Amino acid sequence: MAADQGVYLYAVTRDEGEEPDGLEGVVGAPVGRLAHRGLAAVLSPVSLREFGEEALRRSMEDLAWLEETARAHHRVVEAVARLRPAAPVRLVTVYTGEAQVRELLDERHDAFDAVLRRLSGRWEWGVKAYAVPAAAEQHPASAEQHPTERPTERPTERPTERPAEDPAERPAEGSAGRPVERSGRAAAGAGAGSGGGAPGAAYLNRRRAALRGREADWRRAAEHAQAVHEALMGVAVDGRRHRAQDPQLSGRREQMVLNGAYLVDEGRAAEFTRVVEEVAGRGVAVELVGPWAPYSFAALDHDGEAACGDGS
Amino acid sequence: MTEWTDRQAVRRGEWRLETDADSVQRDLSRLVLTLVELIRQLVERQCVRRMDRGELTGEQLEAVGLTLMRLEEAMAELCERFGLSPSDLNLDLGPLGTLLPAD
Repeated sequence: MAADQGVYLYAVTRDEGEEPDGLEGVVGAPVGRLAHRGLAAVLSPVSLREFGEEALRRSMEDLAWLEETARAHHRVVEAVARLRPAAPVRLVTVYTGEAQVRELLDERHDAFDAVLRRLSGRWEWGVKAYAVPAAAEQHPASAEQHPTERPTERPTERPTERPAEDPAERPAEGSAGRPVERSGRAAAGAGAGSGGGAPGAAYLNRRRAALRGREADWRRAAEHAQAVHEALMGVAVDGRRHRAQDPQLSGRREQMVLNGAYLVDEGRAAEFTRVVEEVAGRGVAVELVGPWAPYSFAALDHDGEAACGDGS
Repeated sequence: MTEWTDRQAVRRGEWRLETDADSVQRDLSRLVLTLVELIRQLVERQCVRRMDRGELTGEQLEAVGLTLMRLEEAMAELCERFGLSPSDLNLDLGPLGTLLPAD
């Protein structure tokens, strides 16, 4: 093996047979395997000139390079995971040689074994929920599912919210003895009505309404997202809530309120998708993707995660 | 070890700073406007809060409202002059989300 040749690791599986023929990894290299004590590391050779620490620091900022690498990584992991339980390792996990990989399989044998047992017969599903603005939700298309839900929802919450919605109902406190509330409200009302009287107050009132509306939308969506998450957890073996992606990444204008990953038994996939359909539309738009290899659930315990180096 | 020149790295890394004079000016004005807009929105929220608590007299309310309104107009003008849209003023703060709320 040449001095600048490294090993790119995709996943760890049980040593139960060959990888699919002609499988291509990153930079088109043929995918091979390294078996050790009943485990098999799925890997391909890479040049450390391209995958060494220094080079990676630059490449990881190159979106085109990253996309290509991620696709190849994903392709290999999926192909292997279709055959047998596989624990995917993190993107761009590079070792300096096969000896180092063998060491990993040796040292972390029991942990990998436990992870593979846990992942066996289970797949990961991704569920993303987006906030739907209140106005859009009144749409008949989404209203049909739960026509009675809105008005009766969380009746206990109303009383505490009401006063905040109409501050003019509150007594004026510590305001220099003037009936501030009334004059403020009257001025605002006049401004909003005529558009001429008090433009400043009218502006503030508009802003307040907008802020309120947005906060209420957001809170409602977050509650729905939590409800969606709990409903899904009822069927899933395990679940993670990842950080919500910003619109640039998600490609959707609505705010993402749930970015969840769920580990689901093969036999309960239909049930899981049914739950997703049931919860969709109630204040959130829901996107279901998968099933795919359980990336989010393959990490070894924190002290010895599989990705223990990007080569050097 | 790497064969890339810095120039190539700049072209390939889309998140690197462009360093020619025009884009520096644009990025700088964008940063300044972002901060101004952040402060403006904070003040606006604080005013709304004080309005809710009844801490402002009618005149104060009107004066502050007018000021904020004019500031907003001025911001819109400045953005236009520098060819920026409101979304350009929103920085992604990673785990904290975006600097300004999405409108």
